[in-house]
Amino acid sequence: MDKRDQLIQKLRNIAVKTPENDVEVPEKVEGFGTIEYGAQTCSACKKCILACEPAALDMDPTMNLPDYLKATIPHDGFRSKNRESLVTLLQGLREEGNVVAISVPDGLPGYGSIAWAADRCIACDKCIEACLEDCLTLEKTYKLPEIIGEVKPPPSITVSKDWEPFILCFVCWECSHAAADLAGLMHLHYPTNIRTIRIPCLGAVEPMHIMTALENGVDGVLLTGCLLSECHYGGDSPKAGNFMQYDFVKFWMDVLEEIGMGGRIHIDSASAAMGIKFADIVKEFTEKIQNLGPSPIRGKLEVR
Amino acid sequence: MKKLFLCTCNKTLDKKLDFLRIEKELKGVFDSVQIHDALCLKEGLAFLESEVSNEDSVVIGACTSQIIGMPMSEKLKTESVSFVPLREHVAWVHSNDLKGASNKAVVLLCDAAIRVDHMDSPTVVENHMEKEVLIVGGGMCGLKVAADLLHLGIDVTILEPCPWDDTAYVEAGQFMADKNTLTKMVKELVSATASATTICCTITGLEGRAGKYGVSLACLDGKVSTIDCGSIVIATNVEQKPPPMAKKLLYGKSDRTILLGNLATLVEKQGPKDVRTVLVAVDPTHHLSAVEGGYLLRVVTEAAKKGNTVIVAHSNIRTDDENIYRAARESGVIFVRGTLEKAKDTKDGMVCRLENTLESQIREFVVDLLVLQTMTRPRGDTAELARIAGLSLDEDGFITTRYSKNKPVQTSKRGIYIAGNGKMPMSIDDAIASAGNAALEVFKDIRTTTRRKGWIPIIDEEQCDVCEACIEACPNDALRLVDGKVTHISQHCEFCGICVSVCPTRAIEFQSHSKESWFARLEALAENHKKMEGEKPFTFVYACSECANASIDLAGFTGKGYPTGTYVIQFPCAGMVSPIEILKGLAVGAERIVVAHCPPGGCHHQTGDHMAELVVKFTQDMLRSIGQDPERVKATYMIAALPNKMQEEVAHRG
Repeated sequence: MDKRDQLIQKLRNIAVKTPENDVEVPEKVEGFGTIEYGAQTCSACKKCILACEPAALDMDPTMNLPDYLKATIPHDGFRSKNRESLVTLLQGLREEGNVVAISVPDGLPGYGSIAWAADRCIACDKCIEACLEDCLTLEKTYKLPEIIGEVKPPPSITVSKDWEPFILCFVCWECSHAAADLAGLMHLHYPTNIRTIRIPCLGAVEPMHIMTALENGVDGVLLTGCLLSECHYGGDSPKAGNFMQYDFVKFWMDVLEEIGMGGRIHIDSASAAMGIKFADIVKEFTEKIQNLGPSPIRGKLEVR
Repeated sequence: MKKLFLCTCNKTLDKKLDFLRIEKELKGVFDSVQIHDALCLKEGLAFLESEVSNEDSVVIGACTSQIIGMPMSEKLKTESVSFVPLREHVAWVHSNDLKGASNKAVVLLCDAAIRVDHMDSPTVVENHMEKEVLIVGGGMCGLKVAADLLHLGIDVTILEPCPWDDTAYVEAGQFMADKNTLTKMVKELVSATASATTICCTITGLEGRAGKYGVSLACLDGKVSTIDCGSIVIATNVEQKPPPMAKKLLYGKSDRTILLGNLATLVEKQGPKDVRTVLVAVDPTHHLSAVEGGYLLRVVTEAAKKGNTVIVAHSNIRTDDENIYRAARESGVIFVRGTLEKAKDTKDGMVCRLENTLESQIREFVVDLLVLQTMTRPRGDTAELARIAGLSLDEDGFITTRYSKNKPVQTSKRGIYIAGNGKMPMSIDDAIASAGNAALEVFKDIRTTTRRKGWIPIIDEEQCDVCEACIEACPNDALRLVDGKVTHISQHCEFCGICVSVCPTRAIEFQSHSKESWFARLEALAENHKKMEGEKPFTFVYACSECANASIDLAGFTGKGYPTGTYVIQFPCAGMVSPIEILKGLAVGAERIVVAHCPPGGCHHQTGDHMAELVVKFTQDMLRSIGQDPERVKATYMIAALPNKMQEEVAHRG
């Protein structure tokens, strides 16, 4: 099982509600997206299938007539001239009624559509580069309902009176860890619910880490790093670790919201001089999780 | 100059066609219109000769035979002349409708005027043949091919997996003929092939193309070698095996159950007092060939003649010669209909339970011997050989030939022939005849540096997506992937155009048959039809130039009339028709489109009939989906032996 499969498996594990909407993928987030396919220009040459490393594309022996009939032929036509003729003729002959896709008879080469598997795609755009007919585009949306599928709600849990949230806090070992140290030096009190994990840079936190934490019943995940534009591993570059992670966390917050785990992840920043802010961040997030209640995953875990 | 010549066929057609009106209507289309009474005769040809120059494009409206073209081929290049068979396609089939027939003639002649504009000069394909011939299998047929070719002065190499001697030849061929004939034949063949090179090897690889094959061989002593040859003749043998029901009937378990071959040997050695009761069972699940049937009948006749009581339990026995069956009956063989269901070995004999499901009868026989018919199957390594050579097999595992009627010894690959039993079980006479035929075909290939002329597909590399659909569709291995590009091997091309029907990008176009030319022609046909006939519905018949065209011509010869408003449009092969031409036909207003191909399995280019059926079915699905009536399109076979077919297909409308 490769990494993407593992991640999706974890998402399915932590899902407590069936997602209903596609999630928008923020600009800086790569590796997640949707391949939009226009059958009308496709020559069924299979170049994209050969180019796709995670085998997210496959040949579908159907002719997508609805796409053919909706297509508008550009001024200089399609590259596939025979397809263009076919589409034009079909549009001209069309009568009233509902148009459905039809299957290509076995043994007739030259026709077919591309089937795209949302859960295998890593949005690398290799297929788009390989396509000679411009029938593929990468959309910045994540087809969560398709990927997660139907979710059975976990058994509800009883909250005992003495329940305290358990929060995992990833701190970068530059500013944020120093801030946590400073908070200690300053004898600032903040809730005991957090366990800090030191990582080199905020950008080094992988979705897999966050999902593994949630999968195991952690009630909230907090990420703190250097102030924006002060990352020790990228400075003010838009590709600096903390800067990138903000977009990723935004994406995962939306994903978690859709699968019923909303609000359990938070990203913030505190410089080495901000002991007080660090303590505040922890306090605020703990309160928030306290109000949300224990992670619904616990129901699943208890049953297991 | 665009010139039109019309022939009245010795003043017979002018009663059916209004030539003056046709001439008048076509004044604007052609630069000159001339009517002659016999274009095919000497004076007609001389007239054409004097009228036509090299720069002219010419349309000739005459008969289908096109005998005019041949003597004129110097002056009338293929690319500048177009024939319209007015006699068979118009005059003789619309003999009661002078006006309609003349209108149709005008429409068809206008079409020919457009067609001639889109014609390309045919491509010349030269095939240089290496003179060496490799014969796979040194049995009777292999030897016959070798003997014939050696006689014609051609070097042959016979490939045989193991050494053979004269007795082995006789034994192996025994079932197909009697011993005396065989012995004599073997003696002659062996002495005739003394000068042939014989090697004990098996084929492990094959590359190249007709005219220059490289064959990799593995010899018995483990040595590996390659030889070059121009053509290959497959002369593999058959094996005889117990039928599927053998196990159930105790074959191998009881001494009383034997095979037909064993019975033949027993009978041969049998003394006069040594008589038995014998039941011969035919397996109903095995499709008995005529050779097998004949062999069975001969063996049982011999057995009965020696005084044995012979019962044959059968459901169907095929034989080429009814007299063998009569002889069997006269010699006392008892034929019983039914299937042998069960056999039990007892001390009194084999108890056989026979069921006749037709008459719901069950009978029991107690016999000394239960004899099972033997199944004839290709040698065990035939499948491997076919795989290496890229040949296809039929359901019984025999190698399929190109076209059983016209090309019985040609396999699907050019330069590879098949002699004798490799394609089906044959009697020795048939097998030897087929071997002689194969030898002649090989000789023909070698003697003439084959120079073929025809239209070929042209590939536009810029436009090509390398989807390989054409490679998959080509039945002749004439398109291949070389260095990532689709490449046309013209030596293998059959000029059928099946490849262009599947191309999604129009990167492959057939000479003289570009999509653009089809569009222009179909639009003009419809427009001219409307001009001449108004709102009258019309039908396009896309006919392959082989069987379907012959059938339509024959409809003319035999006067099987059909309504006007039916326009026959010739394609090199029905497999060339793609949904685009069909939909275009409907789009320009045709009421119906009939795609006429050769009879199933009888395509001269191997797969055209099947492709046409697939394409039409696919197009019908498209039409159904977009709300059109799928019945407007139809695929059907037409064959010269059925001149009525055209009448049946277009007689009714709507």
